Amino acid sequence: MELQWPLILFTTLVGASAGLFAAQGVYALAGRGAKAQAPALAASAILLVVGGVAVFLHLEHWERIFNGFGHLSSGITQELVAVIVMAAAMAAFFAVLRRGAGVPRWCAVLAIAASAALVLVMGLSYLMAARPAWNNALQVLSLFGLASAAGPGILAIFAKDPKDAGLNGGCALVGTVANAACTVAFALMMAGAVSQFVDVGYYFDPNHPTEAMVEASAFSPFSSGAVGLTAGAVALSLAAVAFAVYGKRSGSWKAAGSGVAICALAGAVLLRAAFFACGGSVFMFY
Amino acid sequence: MRNAIVTDLNRCVGCLSCSVACKAANGVPVGSFWNKVLRIGPNPKAEGSVFPDVEMYFLPTGCQHCSAPECVKVCPTQASYKAADGTVQIDKSKCIGCQFCVMACPYGVRYLNEEERVVEKCTLCEQKTAQGELPQCVEQCCARARFFGDIDQGVENLEAPGEPASFGDDSSYETMKRTRVKLGEYALPFTDDQVHRLPDVGNKPSFAYILRDRQWRGEE
Repeated sequence: MELQWPLILFTTLVGASAGLFAAQGVYALAGRGAKAQAPALAASAILLVVGGVAVFLHLEHWERIFNGFGHLSSGITQELVAVIVMAAAMAAFFAVLRRGAGVPRWCAVLAIAASAALVLVMGLSYLMAARPAWNNALQVLSLFGLASAAGPGILAIFAKDPKDAGLNGGCALVGTVANAACTVAFALMMAGAVSQFVDVGYYFDPNHPTEAMVEASAFSPFSSGAVGLTAGAVALSLAAVAFAVYGKRSGSWKAAGSGVAICALAGAVLLRAAFFACGGSVFMFY
Repeated sequence: MRNAIVTDLNRCVGCLSCSVACKAANGVPVGSFWNKVLRIGPNPKAEGSVFPDVEMYFLPTGCQHCSAPECVKVCPTQASYKAADGTVQIDKSKCIGCQFCVMACPYGVRYLNEEERVVEKCTLCEQKTAQGELPQCVEQCCARARFFGDIDQGVENLEAPGEPASFGDDSSYETMKRTRVKLGEYALPFTDDQVHRLPDVGNKPSFAYILRDRQWRGEE
């Protein structure tokens, strides 16, 4: 299907926001990065707001969201609930930061839980049996991969205290390796999903007589239309790992964290673009 | 109650009357379709067969008015809903144009109306069936291949327009509109394994297709 840029930006930016907020929780639990918490929280909130604005651009009649919005079985409704929960957790995090007595354990755990819930709900909303390339847990895990790479990458930019370098390196390396593994696994899963499209043999659409038959292979991440996106996503996820290794060795986390964050975000955009490029419906002939 | 259409594919001649009639009756935009006819084949009758041992059939497709429609489940405003007659309908005044229903449909029959900026698809001519009429695609089917009715009452009870010979001396428009034939009385005999559905990925399509003596292509 066509690339849905507002949705690509929404999932990427909100995934990064959740990853950053969760990383803040991890740092708080480890008793590190105290000075980085306030600017990181601001960055996380900005990413959440920009992602939220992006998704509104996808709605043709956003003014009607008050006209019955709230069907709980809908992934969009669940995403809205999860976004509100994370925004509330951010407000609580902000309040305890203002108090200046450090982030209590409950608040750190709340940040991690709210972030994980948002990423999970975001992935589940695309788990559709109608789209073989999307209907797999690896699709959800690819969003967790994005969050686990981008979050620590951005936080490492703010965590300048030399005592934080060890945690920066550990989180960024684990996160980027997980992201690279999820990216590769999701791409392979989408390639394998090609066999799940319906095959009717030779056919013809008299309503579109000049159009060629649709082949299931056109929905592979390695088809001519998607291979560039897939290769770019994988390359950038590996580049993020390289930046994390560089940061761990040099301790220069301003540059390394920026590299990790940029590569993770750009790779996620390309992977989400490949996701839509491979998102044909199971009966693809209409 | 589940209003649906059953198409006797051995009768369908692929004339596209259903497709054209639907566009005329429902004002479907140029380039979009609520009902489309695909030609499946020619395909080999058996593995390795070559011409003339090939076969084909025409497959009118559209919204299958599913019993467990994913499009209804994913709609955040309940603009897509199951009506009392078992059909899937869209309340355009509630549609926010998020198009998640388009993504959730396994048959790709939903689309965004660019002018109204809401999602559309086949309504099974609810404006006509509510008055006791047949959907336009059933009424205009020149092969009398399409039959409409409550499929929960049995496939045999679905109806198509009557044969002109049955009008008798009264060939008025009103008589023509009222006279019906039942699938069970009109179509050639068929067995349960000759009744097929489009692929079901949990959505339970209500529409069905009868295909005799040929291989149904595409798993169900």
